Amino acid sequence: MNVLIVEDEKSLAREIAEFLKSENFLCDIASTGTEASEKIAINLYDFVLLDLGLPDYNGIDLLKEAKKMNSEASFIIITARGAVEDKVKGLDLGADDYLAKPFALIELLSRINAVARRKFNMTSTDIVLGDFTMQVQARRIICKGEEVDLTKKEYDLLQYLVLNNGKVLTRHQLYEHIWGNILDDQYDSNFIDVHIKNLRKKLNLHAPSPWLETVRGVGYRISTGQTE
Amino acid sequence: MTIRHMLKIKFKLSLFNLLSKLVFTGAFLLLMPFIIERINLRQVDKDLVKKREQVLSLISDIGIEPFITSDSSFGSFNILKEEFISIERTSLEEDLNFIEESSRLIENEEIDYRVLNYSFKIDNQSYLLEVGRSLSSIKATGKNIRSVMLVFLVFIIIITFVTDTQYTRILLTPLERIKDKLKMISDPALFDRNPVKTTTSDFQKLDYALCEVMENLGALFQKEKEITVNISHELMTPISVLRSKLENLLLKEDLKPETSTKIEDSLKTLHRLQSLVNSLLMIARIESNQYLREDSFRIRELLKDIILELEPIAVDACIMLKHDLKDDILMKEANRSLIFSMFYNVANNALKNTSMGGNVLINSSYNHGIFRVSISDTGKGLTQIQKETLFSRFKTRDKNSGEGTGIGLAIAKTIADFHKIEITVSSELEKGTTFSFIFPENS
Repeated sequence: MNVLIVEDEKSLAREIAEFLKSENFLCDIASTGTEASEKIAINLYDFVLLDLGLPDYNGIDLLKEAKKMNSEASFIIITARGAVEDKVKGLDLGADDYLAKPFALIELLSRINAVARRKFNMTSTDIVLGDFTMQVQARRIICKGEEVDLTKKEYDLLQYLVLNNGKVLTRHQLYEHIWGNILDDQYDSNFIDVHIKNLRKKLNLHAPSPWLETVRGVGYRISTGQTE
Repeated sequence: MTIRHMLKIKFKLSLFNLLSKLVFTGAFLLLMPFIIERINLRQVDKDLVKKREQVLSLISDIGIEPFITSDSSFGSFNILKEEFISIERTSLEEDLNFIEESSRLIENEEIDYRVLNYSFKIDNQSYLLEVGRSLSSIKATGKNIRSVMLVFLVFIIIITFVTDTQYTRILLTPLERIKDKLKMISDPALFDRNPVKTTTSDFQKLDYALCEVMENLGALFQKEKEITVNISHELMTPISVLRSKLENLLLKEDLKPETSTKIEDSLKTLHRLQSLVNSLLMIARIESNQYLREDSFRIRELLKDIILELEPIAVDACIMLKHDLKDDILMKEANRSLIFSMFYNVANNALKNTSMGGNVLINSSYNHGIFRVSISDTGKGLTQIQKETLFSRFKTRDKNSGEGTGIGLAIAKTIADFHKIEITVSSELEKGTTFSFIFPENS
């Protein structure tokens, strides 16, 4: 898939590009609004990551322009956290999603994947994890025909890990994904450990879950021997 | 600083007004008998002289004979013996004309009189005329005058006191208005700039000066908030870059475990920085009204969500998380996620401060028109100093309290202020701490 990264902070744009390339995306970088506007006019992109705070261009104007030129593309807005957050939510900007800086690269990937799944209607696949099956659409885990009783948070946590199959997720990345940014201050790595502990307990009542791995000193990972 | 026995200027003026009148009246009452006596005697003396003139003119009209014969004297008094007039022959050669107090025996009764003595000559014969008025009747008149004056005085005092007080009140109304304007504002930018109606130049000047001060202060506050918001925004970009770089590094396949751990540690530190900046940004944004307040929700349902969130943590730490949410209100024009953060921060803080086997109780009640949510723990309690600095940013950071930045309660306080919710804290060492949230009446 073709991604245009519109971000005036060049080193950030490079890091995003490096990450997405490792996930098999084709990346293009525009560090000014003018450059972005030109690239959008010439190329067709699947995704445009758009930083609204560009020095030379009104981000909203650029978004409107891009939607006209590149109507097939999906847009993920990147905002400096704060001032516009609520407004972005309230305004119908026509973007598919938005992310506040600083964000986890993994989170960006999940958002891109989620938008892609919505777009191409790929939400119905079931994912097999050892003796368990995750029914993404129904939001449940089945083991030998029986549903595993999970809380919403536990399910979200597991799904996030599963959707990032094979990657180590740090506790903070997990925390941020599940609890959002508003509780930032209360971040406590213990939270995630407690939930993972409970999650394992519940899974192990049905069958062993060796695929849910703890990576010492870093975080957690789903390892089914196969990548998505 | 509190000074006891504070009084309103209105009361002080009225009090002074009353006291000065009382002092004046007291002095007057002390002097009054003396003054009245003087006035009274002068009046009596005038009367006596007038009577003398009447008698003399009568004598010059009809002669002395009808009054007095060669060997008798004339005397006349009224029934109550209050006045008498007497004429008698006298052998004294000198001219007499004086007033004295002396007693007379009338019908075997000795009575004190004020007596005018006057001598005159007709046909070489000297006569002594005495006109008298009894002292008791004089005193009675004095008493009458005194009581009339007393009533009058009291009347005057009441009238002047009431009018003075009323006038003071009217005069000070603009001052009250200015005071009200000051009382109602929490932010200098919200100061009511409409001038207070007054004809007193002092108040007008005070009002203008206050308006100006508030305007400057408001601008300064606004600037400070903007600076905080801007700095926080500026800090986010380098944090973003660093974070992405570290995360990319962590994804490299060929890392040694100790390198991964080091990177994760750096990420943790970076997250703390991010949290700090976020928290500051959040406070600055709340204080500069950048959050919308348009959610309606039930407090009980929100508290249940919080309990659901914290339950696993409490269970893990062997703490009983109890709740008694018997009353509920519908919160209007509020920001749900902010209110959630506020309760969450305080409840999570309570859990952190409670040791194994302790309790945390979340409670809601509606009493006398006031809705209150309280979160109490059986933790180690707070010292007086801790209590005082509880809501200040960064001051309460306890090195052992986990990975928080110690700003959670400051955020809670800011959110509460934003929603006009009052937070009170009561705490007893080794017993526990209770946070109470008192909701505004209209919510």
